[in-house]
Amino acid sequence: MESETEQLIAYVERNIERTLADCTTCGKCFDACPMTEYSAALNGKTGPEVVAGIRSLLAGDGGTPAALEWTRVCTQSARCIPACPENVNPMLMMRLSRITALGSTGGPALLPDGKRDPNFFRRINAFSALQFSDAELAAWQR
Amino acid sequence: METMRERVVFWYGCNAVRHGDIIHSAIELLRAVGIDSDPAGGPAYCCGTSKDGNLAAAAGMAARTVEKFNAAGRDTVVTWCPSCHRHAGTFMTGVNTAKFGVSHITEILHTRRHLLVPLLTHRLDRRVVLHKHSGFHEVDAYPLIADLLRLIPGLELVVTDYSAPGHMCSAVSAVPAALKDVVRRSAELCRAHDSDTLVTAFHSCQRLLCGLATTDGIKVVNYVNLLVEAMGMKPPADEYAEWKNAGSEAAIREKIGEERIAKIGAEFFAQQVLPELRKLPEK
Ligand code: SF4
Repeated sequence: MESETEQLIAYVERNIERTLADCTTCGKCFDACPMTEYSAALNGKTGPEVVAGIRSLLAGDGGTPAALEWTRVCTQSARCIPACPENVNPMLMMRLSRITALGSTGGPALLPDGKRDPNFFRRINAFSALQFSDAELAAWQR
Repeated sequence: METMRERVVFWYGCNAVRHGDIIHSAIELLRAVGIDSDPAGGPAYCCGTSKDGNLAAAAGMAARTVEKFNAAGRDTVVTWCPSCHRHAGTFMTGVNTAKFGVSHITEILHTRRHLLVPLLTHRLDRRVVLHKHSGFHEVDAYPLIADLLRLIPGLELVVTDYSAPGHMCSAVSAVPAALKDVVRRSAELCRAHDSDTLVTAFHSCQRLLCGLATTDGIKVVNYVNLLVEAMGMKPPADEYAEWKNAGSEAAIREKIGEERIAKIGAEFFAQQVLPELRKLPEK
């Protein structure tokens, strides 16, 4: 039987395969993105060019600097979803790109993981202790 | 109209714990519309969505949380957090078999809003601006929230065309210049509409914007607290906002109190909690 991690990686890979099969690299998702204006590196880049890099990343071929940069600034605005004529869900495509770029599917880590904070859960526990009674903590958070 | 009482799991997620007031008000509202809840949240119920860089951790968290919800034996898990809701509908249940359905709290409250109508008896004579994001595509939450707020007698709700990127402010915070724009636009909208109150839908917007009270004289309040107030109840204190707007380290310490600080450890408080509370929104 597959482990939980293997099952999740298989789920990610299935979604990558589907994205690669359906996406035509038209670039409309990139054009609709409200985050590109926050990156000088994306200035002047075209949608088809950047999405081709995303596809290369997802296919395990390392992507392009612009594709990595777009992945870095994606905040899940969802504006790309209605823009896609192929019903790909480009927002999920960008999440798969992030997962791949972080090295989670076995390739090299190409982006730093800003969420790797050893105190993340400790802070949550601390704020819980400040905000909830002991009885609530025992009933709600164990 | 007859509506059956129901019992659900109310899954408030991880980061919402900074806002005990929001969680308590949400539970109160669910009760008001005939839903008793088993609240669940914090790290023990993490969905794993923040672990894209460590799929082993993400898989373990998702499997454990689905297992706990299956064991709870409720038909419905009501979500608060849009990240949890999204993750539950994709990665969590795409891999684990869930014996429950997932609904967002805005959908539940909106569907049962006829039960709120007779309870919203207390006038709130103020003009408020709804703070919105575009990214929660799974649930069109803002029209639902707007409908709920329009039930409050006296409340003048301003809904503008502006939607910030991301599904809530924490998503935007990864790109600091974008978050500054969100802060600036939000303050501008309040001024343009002659309102001193910005209404948030989600906890992380409350967290990152509540300091506007200090920087711009704008009160930031979550919609659940407005609804509870309109029910004639005193909403639980928004302590997080009180701490953030306290003005100095000494004032924050005084408001929290030495006993609570000792509970989480003085050193941890100083290193990990205080800096967050001292940080105000930047434009
Ligand atoms: S809009 Fe859709 S089809 Fe076009 S590049 Fe983006 S994901 Fe591919």
